[in-house]
Amino acid sequence: MAFLLRRLCFYLAAFVAAATINFFLPRLMPGDPVQIMFSSAGAELPPESLQALKLTFGFVDGPLWQQYLTYLGSIFSGDLGRSIKYFPLPVTTVLGNALVWTVGLMGTATLVSFALGTFLGILAAWRRGSLFDVIVSVGAIFATSVPAVVTSLIVVFTFGFTLGWFPTGYAADPALDPAFTLEYLGSVLYHGILPMITLCAVLTGGFAVTMRNNMINLLGEDYIVMARAKGLSDTRVMLWYAARNALLPTVSSLAIAIGTVLGGSLVTEVVFNYPGLGNILYQAILARDYPVIQGQLLIMTATMLVANFVVDVSYVLLDPRLKRA
Amino acid sequence: MKTSSFPLIHNRKAMVGALIVAFILLIAIAAPLLTSYDPSARVGRPHQAPSLQHWLGTTRIGQDVFARLVYGARTSLAVGFGAGLLITAVGTALGIIAGYRGGKVDEVISFFTNMVLVVPNLPLLLVLAAFIGQASPWVIALILGGTSWAWGARVTRAETLSVKQKDYVKSAEMMGEPRWRIMTFEIFPNLISIVGINFIGSVIFAIITQATLEFLGLGDPKVVSWGTMLYAAQKASALSVGAWWDILTPCFALAFLGIGLSLLNFAVDEIANPRLRTGNRLGRWQALIRSGEGRL
Repeated sequence: MAFLLRRLCFYLAAFVAAATINFFLPRLMPGDPVQIMFSSAGAELPPESLQALKLTFGFVDGPLWQQYLTYLGSIFSGDLGRSIKYFPLPVTTVLGNALVWTVGLMGTATLVSFALGTFLGILAAWRRGSLFDVIVSVGAIFATSVPAVVTSLIVVFTFGFTLGWFPTGYAADPALDPAFTLEYLGSVLYHGILPMITLCAVLTGGFAVTMRNNMINLLGEDYIVMARAKGLSDTRVMLWYAARNALLPTVSSLAIAIGTVLGGSLVTEVVFNYPGLGNILYQAILARDYPVIQGQLLIMTATMLVANFVVDVSYVLLDPRLKRA
Repeated sequence: MKTSSFPLIHNRKAMVGALIVAFILLIAIAAPLLTSYDPSARVGRPHQAPSLQHWLGTTRIGQDVFARLVYGARTSLAVGFGAGLLITAVGTALGIIAGYRGGKVDEVISFFTNMVLVVPNLPLLLVLAAFIGQASPWVIALILGGTSWAWGARVTRAETLSVKQKDYVKSAEMMGEPRWRIMTFEIFPNLISIVGINFIGSVIFAIITQATLEFLGLGDPKVVSWGTMLYAAQKASALSVGAWWDILTPCFALAFLGIGLSLLNFAVDEIANPRLRTGNRLGRWQALIRSGEGRL
């Protein structure tokens, strides 16, 4: 319990750090920070809205610490300001809509590639030096060293443009109304396949290598020899003695991987014109919509922290030593 | 297997990786000899398919893709190695100091390291780059160095903790050597494989991230690099108008460089941790791509 509480405090501090970066960045840039933040608004924003925006981002009369507290206050009350591009929509609404798509895409891709990568890693380590191991190891090197942008572009070129098997944009057929109908859900699946394949291609290799290396380091342990000496079947030794213990460090690498997934899903969404956070961020960068760009960092950090906490909890469940600590 | 004082030479992965990286490095250096075209000038009609005159076709505004490829290699490599060096230097220094000094110093450094690790990197870089505006390659290298050292610091710290217990460190302490000397001359040389893995990993990361930032339109579009090539091609909808050469050229270049560096990285990892070797079977695959001499 104490362990989880300590982690929670740490995550809170990390979130405040991200907010602090947001607060100081416009103020560190040469020039007037208000001007920098809201220059893209031009004359379109009504003066009272601009005033409200300034207040949200801590541009109040007073010393810096007062401005900082004002900004932290608005963030912790859930107010991230309003988008300039999609005015008058609040940033939380714009990002919230997109977050659903990103988490759906990212979550499924992470789970699929974690399961697949772990499975491949176990088998490769068990048959170390076999042709299978070579294919998995070398394939993993290739897959992990190619940038997500490149993988996305090659996948969209091959299956989208050249073969024409799958759509090259949007999360669903734009002609359909979003509803829980079979037709709409089918369309979502159909549009999600290519981005999903791309993300899995980017991620699976990393999980496979981590698992393989963990397994190999464990296979020399005494308790594995002992299990074999007892005459247990190969599958039982592989899965219940080696893999179970090798999984533990892999779970913690999962936490770090979530950050990579977020990054990877950013560019994949841009390439596939998928309406998730990445695409919103891309549009916001093009339009210099700073409230959305800043909100994005906070939302992504929060997502990452929640994911890390879930991993922490599962770690406690998997490793009984931590419960006593 | 023969043991050698230069284990990298006897590792096929390392050889193939080194050859790929050396090949790209050579192209980057010899760029003016390989093409007579100016990479940023308009030298032909827009979006022409590859021909004898333009080996890899032309871009939307009539620039020669091959010229952009070879000159762009310079930028991508320079940023990759520059930022990689910076990331490794910061990470190694902080890791050794935290691991060796321990106590309060360690607590502070570790706290910041863990914090940087948990804030997602790409969104953070995007926010920084968005405020800076059209970031030049060197600015990108600097912000990469400032935000991406955490993984290296964590790994180096863990390794320092075990090296610190060794007898030679204890005896250096007994002899009253100053702390900076112990850290630079007793501990650092024994971490060299970790530092090497960290360095190559950071170079890969820097090259990928620079390309990504530029692809998203945060770089300086006037600079010729593989990232800005991707950006320009994507903006000109190269794929939907069928100009595949425009977008696939930087794609394959990035993939090729990434694979070369990763092979090197895995090789260093295998040498530092011999259990991970795949064994002789790897030779089969490598025979396929007909690499140079040398036995695994």
